[in-house]
Amino acid sequence: MESKIGVYICECGPNISEKVDIDKVIDAVKDLEGVAVVERYKLLCSEDGKKFLVEQIKKHGLTHLVIAACSPRDHEKTFREVCENAGINPFLFQLANIREQCAWITDDKDEATKKSIRLTKAAIRRVRYHTSLEKKEIEGNPDVLVIGGGIAGIETSLQLASPVRKVYLVEKTSSLGGLINTFEKIYPNMELGSDLIKQKNLEIEKNENIKVFTETEVEKVVGFLGNFEVTVKKTSQDNSSQDFNVGAIVLATGSRLFDPKLTPQYGYGKLDNVITSLEFEKMNLSGKISLKNGKSPATIAIINCVGRDKKGYCSEICCMYSLKFIRYLKEKISNIKVTNFYSDLCIPGKRQQKFYEETKGKNIDFVRSKDIEVNKKADKLEIKYKDENGSKKNLSADMVILAPAVEPTIDASKIAEITSISQGNGGFFAEEHEKLAPISTSTEGVYIAGCAHGPKNIFDSITQAEAASGKILTSLIPGRKIEPEIKVSHISESLCIGCKTCLTVCSYGAISFDEAKKISVVNEVICRGCGNCVAACPSGAANIKHFTFNQLYQEIMEAIQ
Amino acid sequence: MTKALVINNNYEKGLIDFLKNLLENGKVKGVFSLKKINKEGDVTFSLISKPEDLDDAVPFYPIMPVNAGSLMSRFTMKQPATESIIAVLKPCEIRAFVELIKREQGSLENITILSFTCGGVYTHRMVADDLITKNLSKYWDAVKSEKILDDLRPACRSCDEFIPYNSDITVDLIGNKDIDKQLTMILNTEKGGNLVKDIKGKNVEKNLNDKKLENFKDKREKEKKKLFDEIDPKIKGLDNLIDTFGKCISCHACGRVCPICYCTVCEFESPDAEYKPSNFETELNKRGALRVPPGTIYFHLGRLDHIAISCVGCGACEDVCPVDIPLSIIFKKIGESVQKMFDYVPGKNTDEELPLSTFEKEELVEYEE
Amino acid sequence: MSQPEEKNKSTVISVKKDLNTAIIDFLKEGIDKQVFDDVIIPMRVPAKDSFAYVLVRNKSILNDGFFLPPVMPVQGGRMVSSVTRLGKKDKKTAIIMRPCETRATIELAKLGQTNLDNLILISMDCPGVMPISDFLKDTNKQLKNFEDSANNLDDKIMRPVCQICDKSSMISGDLHIGTLGAKKGSFYLISNSEKGNELIEKMGLKQNENINSWKEKVKKISEEKKKKRINKNKELKKKIGGLDNLTDAFGKCINCHNCMSVCPVCFCRLCYFESDKVKQPSDDYLSRAKSKGSIRFLPDTMLFHIGRMEHMSLSCVSCGACEDVCPVDIPIAQIFTMIADETQGLFDYVSGRSLDEPIPFVAYKEEELTDMEDSND
Repeated sequence: MESKIGVYICECGPNISEKVDIDKVIDAVKDLEGVAVVERYKLLCSEDGKKFLVEQIKKHGLTHLVIAACSPRDHEKTFREVCENAGINPFLFQLANIREQCAWITDDKDEATKKSIRLTKAAIRRVRYHTSLEKKEIEGNPDVLVIGGGIAGIETSLQLASPVRKVYLVEKTSSLGGLINTFEKIYPNMELGSDLIKQKNLEIEKNENIKVFTETEVEKVVGFLGNFEVTVKKTSQDNSSQDFNVGAIVLATGSRLFDPKLTPQYGYGKLDNVITSLEFEKMNLSGKISLKNGKSPATIAIINCVGRDKKGYCSEICCMYSLKFIRYLKEKISNIKVTNFYSDLCIPGKRQQKFYEETKGKNIDFVRSKDIEVNKKADKLEIKYKDENGSKKNLSADMVILAPAVEPTIDASKIAEITSISQGNGGFFAEEHEKLAPISTSTEGVYIAGCAHGPKNIFDSITQAEAASGKILTSLIPGRKIEPEIKVSHISESLCIGCKTCLTVCSYGAISFDEAKKISVVNEVICRGCGNCVAACPSGAANIKHFTFNQLYQEIMEAIQ
Repeated sequence: MTKALVINNNYEKGLIDFLKNLLENGKVKGVFSLKKINKEGDVTFSLISKPEDLDDAVPFYPIMPVNAGSLMSRFTMKQPATESIIAVLKPCEIRAFVELIKREQGSLENITILSFTCGGVYTHRMVADDLITKNLSKYWDAVKSEKILDDLRPACRSCDEFIPYNSDITVDLIGNKDIDKQLTMILNTEKGGNLVKDIKGKNVEKNLNDKKLENFKDKREKEKKKLFDEIDPKIKGLDNLIDTFGKCISCHACGRVCPICYCTVCEFESPDAEYKPSNFETELNKRGALRVPPGTIYFHLGRLDHIAISCVGCGACEDVCPVDIPLSIIFKKIGESVQKMFDYVPGKNTDEELPLSTFEKEELVEYEE
Repeated sequence: MSQPEEKNKSTVISVKKDLNTAIIDFLKEGIDKQVFDDVIIPMRVPAKDSFAYVLVRNKSILNDGFFLPPVMPVQGGRMVSSVTRLGKKDKKTAIIMRPCETRATIELAKLGQTNLDNLILISMDCPGVMPISDFLKDTNKQLKNFEDSANNLDDKIMRPVCQICDKSSMISGDLHIGTLGAKKGSFYLISNSEKGNELIEKMGLKQNENINSWKEKVKKISEEKKKKRINKNKELKKKIGGLDNLTDAFGKCINCHNCMSVCPVCFCRLCYFESDKVKQPSDDYLSRAKSKGSIRFLPDTMLFHIGRMEHMSLSCVSCGACEDVCPVDIPIAQIFTMIADETQGLFDYVSGRSLDEPIPFVAYKEEELTDMEDSND
């Protein structure tokens, strides 16, 4: 069928018309092969403009549409919809940018017009080689997989679960609750951790839309937003696996502590009675705080910022929980002397300052220090340090509690690989954008919440859990169809020689290898059309739809005439 | 008698001036010809648009870096020429182009063909050794006196189709003792005639010298018979084929330079031709050993099967063979025997359809029982 | 050059008649002892005017084996790929190939074009290879010429890139036949892998032979060659440096693409430079001619060569197969060798040295080539 290309040049008010001689552009293109009509119009993106275009397409029986106007980022979508309304495939359309790339970058009307002519001609030549592309729609599964049964995972599950949305909550240990299981109390209100956990466990149990897997790990995830195939495996007993399908995944895998053995100056692992904060929490929860020899400590040193230099970030929670520890100790051991060694006191927030003020007191010292060393001296521990003025000092204590840096869980790399996301600073899961997209990741449909994202307290973990839930609630609406990317890659079966170069450069895991045919195959629903595979393939077997070699070649050859 | 134009000028200079004139007057927008492309004097086929660049053209140079039939096909296969072009081609190059056009691989639209009675070409070996310039005067002496030189391509020494078909203009070279002073252009078509309309020269009625060309054809046919007879025992029977093709390294260069071999992916390089592990096992169990990579002779037999009907005997295959297998004579011999079955001369008539893919109700009755 | 570790079990094998017979006997023994089932070894072709690799199962056919032919008609890497690209060999196969062929095989394995399972790669100290056109001038005389040259360690009749090869004794496969520095009437069989160790054990050979004399001889030769190589590269770079000089070097190129078709590491089914992507409409060719005055036709000769360099330079093993088949004698192997030494040198990579080294092209390192980063001034 002969192509009938309609070319419309937008004045964009004064924006284009005052800088580009539109009549010259019309003259330059009106006799080109296949061009059926060329018109100018005041404002094509307006309601009247859109109506005009639809009428024109129908009136002239146009098969292709070329518009010379603003940036595609502005109105490509608008004009594609116009095509659909007028009955042409929205991909038989090309938008030449004569505003941002011509009118708005020079005062020289002559140059702006010349370039506009080039770009419009290039768009016309390109559009001749466009092919119709069909929209794809898939049914999105609204169910959610939550990996990690700590507070972030629990909150996310409770927020999301409903009769139209099942939640699969997968936890690798034998019970839910995560770190809070080890906290006697939670700052700053000092409520009982066990109460919180008991309440949450009850809510989860009651909720018939949450399926809990304990002693289970995620083995494999393949898919995309709305359609993830998940395989989980039990770590105990029979090692049985189970498969299920979800639409989104929340990573709430929590954290662990930096190993102080890597900072030997604190004597951890060598000296008795040097313990980590987590070990202290557990000791406190058991009911008896005692030294190795069974006696009660009289003097305690809390050393903060253990490993901070190595990790390069502040772990946010340690200053506060050190204050909590002082409260525990004041409560349980009379006349206890506590010295809190810190580099900087980190107590932001509405109530944290008050918490600190109310913790200070007799026998409670806060010492700003650096270059700390812990050694054995007789049957006690000697802490050598430099104070604020740089003077060398020392202090004797019965017990040293170290506050090590917070690190991501030991499984972070495995989970990142399974879900095709990256790890950022410190090995925590990388968010899509530090400020503008702190909950989503580079894989659409995979979100992060809690300490998996970075060190944070319970309050912030719950906030993130609610944020992740919010994102899922608004994007994965039961019944709503998902439209995957249309302009995806395609690998020619006859040309592919199976070297897998494309596979190694695909950041989305969208290419798989067919062992029988020994060729690479693109999963069109996961592919985002980034073009890495096209550039990498030495024989040119890969091509992106709507950006094929020929289409680009035609456009460029015309533009550089 | 055909119209002809005789120009008082050396054959080469005269042609270059003529071509320059065509570009200057806008009668053509591009000229295809052999041309020197660098200070070393390397010669290759070129597309010339500026008249001054024709100063380096050597349209009758006795080499064939590439059979220009395939180059004309590349020029016109995506889009027929939209502006007037003139191409200086050797007779076998024109025939190859025509055979490709029959297979939808090109178009003659807007193309004027200028050819000449062809004395043959030297081998790539001589180009590599920079021996062409030294041999030029010897070459042209041989052309003028209808002699066949020993060091030309075997395919050329045995070529009896040295008079071009389908050329709009033919330059009279073989046996023409006056070429140093006179350029004689036989105008075969109206198109050719129109191009020379404003050119200074004598308009005459002339044909190519039949007697001299018959004489030359005899010599060439004798040489062909000699070479065909020599090759015969080398290709009869599988054992002889194995001996002849034993040193083949399966580089497939012959297929790649052959103008008629136009497939983007040759069947013998496609997945269909790849041996699977089970194929190797079968062969090993049958014969105990197998040359690898497999399929050395199969490729040549297959290629013959595919292109013999259109082989124009240009000799590009043998010239590019790294191990000097006498390919051009083998393919020429088999090609001619297939072509004779259908009284077919490849590239002679543009309307003649390819015999192997054309169904005739009554055909090859002599083979019926 | 890789040095085999001491823990590998090297051995010495005695030569009673001649080296070729000793190796064939060794291979036959391997089949008898069921250490391997098949062998790939070069043999003379029936007309005796060349050599070809033969995959042998029937032991008696091994008698025609010729382990060090004077020519390399088909690069071994390409040959092994034709056997195992679509699937591994089920039967254990010993393959005798020159070091550069073994390296090419390993490189192709990284690219999914060869399956190394059940293959035992055996290389040898390589004296070089003659250009095939020289050999064909007088096959009998040239064979003698080659054997004499090899015995005298004289390489002036060999391919130009063989003359500057400093990896002629490099071991990247499983075993290596070490003739240099070996006592008269014997050769070393040096193991480089578990497969190699296993073979030596199963053959019941005496192990843990001291190979220092081989190492020393090889080191000396390699260092001399390396000096020669650096000088040659420098000379060549001066001669063809700059786009004009480079283009002139390819003035005679007829775009036959022979170089590409025999290259072991050019494995694409359809080369980009023969695909639809380089086929332009006539108007575009004509407008190019108009803008330049004239263009060679077909244009883009340099695009092919530079593009091919870009695609495979990191995998080039400098075997010289390309130069052997160029109909117009362009020193293509020397040019590609000079470039490959630089590109591989950038990443401290040696093509085919080890299966564990990923090809730098697709191996992501967070910190890399920092000296090429922009300095903010």
